[in-house]
Amino acid sequence: MILTIQQILFIVIALVVLISAVLVVTTRNLFHAALFLVVSFFGVAGFYVLLDAGFFAAVQVMIYIGAISILFIFAVMLTRDVITSARGNSQWIAAAVVAAAIFIIAAILLGPAALIIRGREFGNVQWSDPNGPAATSATVIGDLGRGLVSFNQYAVPFLLGAVLLLVAMVGAIWVARERRSRDMAAERAAAAADDIGSDTDQPVQEELPLPDNSMATEKH
Amino acid sequence: MSVFEVINNILKIVGDAVAGLITSLLGAGALSEIVVMFIAAFVICGFCAVAFMAMTYAERKIVARIQDRIGPNQAGPYGVLQPLADGVKMFTKEDTTPATADRWVYNLAPLVIAVFALLTYAVIPFAPSVVGANLNIGVLYVIAVGSGSTIAIMMAGWGSNNKYSLLGAFRTVAQLVGYEVPMLLNVLPVVMLSGSMSLVDIVERQTLANGAHGIPFILMLPLSALIFLISGIAETGRSPFDLLEAESEIVAGFHVEYSGMKFALFFLGEYVNALAVSIMFAVLFLGGYAGPVLPPYIWLLLKAAAVFTVLMWLRGTLPRVRVDQLMSFNWKFLVPMSIVNVILVMVLAKVFVADPALAAANGGIAVSPGMQALILFVSNGVVLLSALGIVARHARQMRLVEAEDLEKRRAQNMLVAAKAVAQ
Amino acid sequence: MRTDFTFVAVMMVAAVLMMGVALVGAALLRPKKPSKAKLETYECGMETVGDAWVQFRAQYYIFALIFVLFDVGGVFLFPFAVAYNSLPLYAVGILSLFILILLGSLLYAWRKGVLQWD
Repeated sequence: MILTIQQILFIVIALVVLISAVLVVTTRNLFHAALFLVVSFFGVAGFYVLLDAGFFAAVQVMIYIGAISILFIFAVMLTRDVITSARGNSQWIAAAVVAAAIFIIAAILLGPAALIIRGREFGNVQWSDPNGPAATSATVIGDLGRGLVSFNQYAVPFLLGAVLLLVAMVGAIWVARERRSRDMAAERAAAAADDIGSDTDQPVQEELPLPDNSMATEKH
Repeated sequence: MSVFEVINNILKIVGDAVAGLITSLLGAGALSEIVVMFIAAFVICGFCAVAFMAMTYAERKIVARIQDRIGPNQAGPYGVLQPLADGVKMFTKEDTTPATADRWVYNLAPLVIAVFALLTYAVIPFAPSVVGANLNIGVLYVIAVGSGSTIAIMMAGWGSNNKYSLLGAFRTVAQLVGYEVPMLLNVLPVVMLSGSMSLVDIVERQTLANGAHGIPFILMLPLSALIFLISGIAETGRSPFDLLEAESEIVAGFHVEYSGMKFALFFLGEYVNALAVSIMFAVLFLGGYAGPVLPPYIWLLLKAAAVFTVLMWLRGTLPRVRVDQLMSFNWKFLVPMSIVNVILVMVLAKVFVADPALAAANGGIAVSPGMQALILFVSNGVVLLSALGIVARHARQMRLVEAEDLEKRRAQNMLVAAKAVAQ
Repeated sequence: MRTDFTFVAVMMVAAVLMMGVALVGAALLRPKKPSKAKLETYECGMETVGDAWVQFRAQYYIFALIFVLFDVGGVFLFPFAVAYNSLPLYAVGILSLFILILLGSLLYAWRKGVLQWD
């Protein structure tokens, strides 16, 4: 069997996505995990390009790499010690089993569905049809736009999406305020401790609090 | 073909000649196509490198003049060889990696940032039918690639394992992601009015060809243009939004630890991004390569140079903003104003339609393009002025409250002093 | 479309090659005399205490979250903008509603004081 260029590219991208995804869950450094996740996202954008869905590729890069991974990295930096905190997890076997089960179910359900949608037979799969119509052109993006605002298509889900974003904002602020009041309590406690005259060894930095004394002292 | 036409289309003629040569050498097919593409890509990258050198020189010279200095004047006449001298220095300077750094991340970051900066140029139309890739998502592609550089900055800040670096990277990323929102919102009216995200189509809408109106979008959407420029400056991290470098606070931000060639790549990324913002502004709002008499590519470069001159001017005159001002200015001023502006443009351009056929099909009043432009211009101005008015009123109230407070404290002090004297 | 993105891929490879050559060339040309003091982390001459990889404040996270929401909302608007010319007026109404809900969430955040950097 001779592979076409698209098939070779697909295999290469799939390998990149898979390997980096595995590294995300196996690496012990949380920041590295986030970076491997970025690589994985980038590979998925490559899939969209191979599917001629340029709009989704751009959205993938913009939202997932430009926004979600930044969010992840900020979240990573909220954890106490970034490098060593991935201390193995006693539930990983259960997690692996569940993930595998979901994957198999999804493959069984979605695989044939995708083939049926493309109007092809099961045994005779062609990954990319060079003679097929280009899926995403300017008109397709325009159709998507028209669909988003027409009532017999997606107008209602579209507006519900906006409401969902609003709810997400409210939730985020609620969580953040909780955290902030807790932070302030911690700061007050720290200030009280300073008054008593405990260690003043830490560097005083406005935006880089070192609440974790253990780390600083271990190194000495 | 006259000499004039040859000069106007020189880029296309040379490109076709090279493509023909390659095809005759390798035969028609995928291979020669790819080779031609590689040549084009290297030409674009080379253009960026040359532009980078020219821009560093121009900026140093012009900012020096603004600040009443002379600027580089030793290397060559008027110091024009300064960029070359800098290049030689960067190439031969020792390059250290801190012992505690996260090696892979640290060393990859400059490469990633430079590559993302160069990728923007793949979609920019330099002249009619001289464009790397006429993507139908051009605008979105540029913004997406621009957002990719945040990851590189995060990598640099983290990889250095330096507190200043990490702090600088965090600030930078908060700034970059924040200012991406107004940028996105102000590209939107342009896309609406031109009906396409392709940069080629957007430029074509601003030329007189094919029944387009020939009005540059800056005359229709001055407020969008202004906000795009401001957020573009913030996206490239230039003064007055250069908190990421803030020499006096966090020494140099995320690239403290970098030296030699890696530092040069960060610098290249910064300037190439600044040029990209200038070119994008020229393409979106000034009509790109459209213009009379001069060849199109010269027009594009002239417009981009004009925008970059404005950036240099701002850099030379404005003081750096504080981090809280930066955030407030974005989220409390630019974003709400952009949203109101987008809605107004959306409604007005639908009610006053420039194309009679569309007006008949979708309802709305058919007006001439000039009239539509005037209406949009006025509405943009009204939004800007009322926003400024609200801010000014708020500021006045704040000042009054502060003055009252001061007065109260002064009276109290007088009282205390009087008591002390009495005792 | 496919060939257009081919150029993007080619551009990526070309940029990596060019920058890689610059890095490798510089690595061959430059001197390499590391010493212990040279490889220390720079901190204005002070000796560095511990790693920089420590806990950061939550505010960055909140701003990133707000950004994600607006980014997602903004992306939805682009297909609409492409179709804008052929849409009737009521579609603009729906879009305005969408954007106003986004604006509402921003105003909520403002009201709750999370937009205040401190």
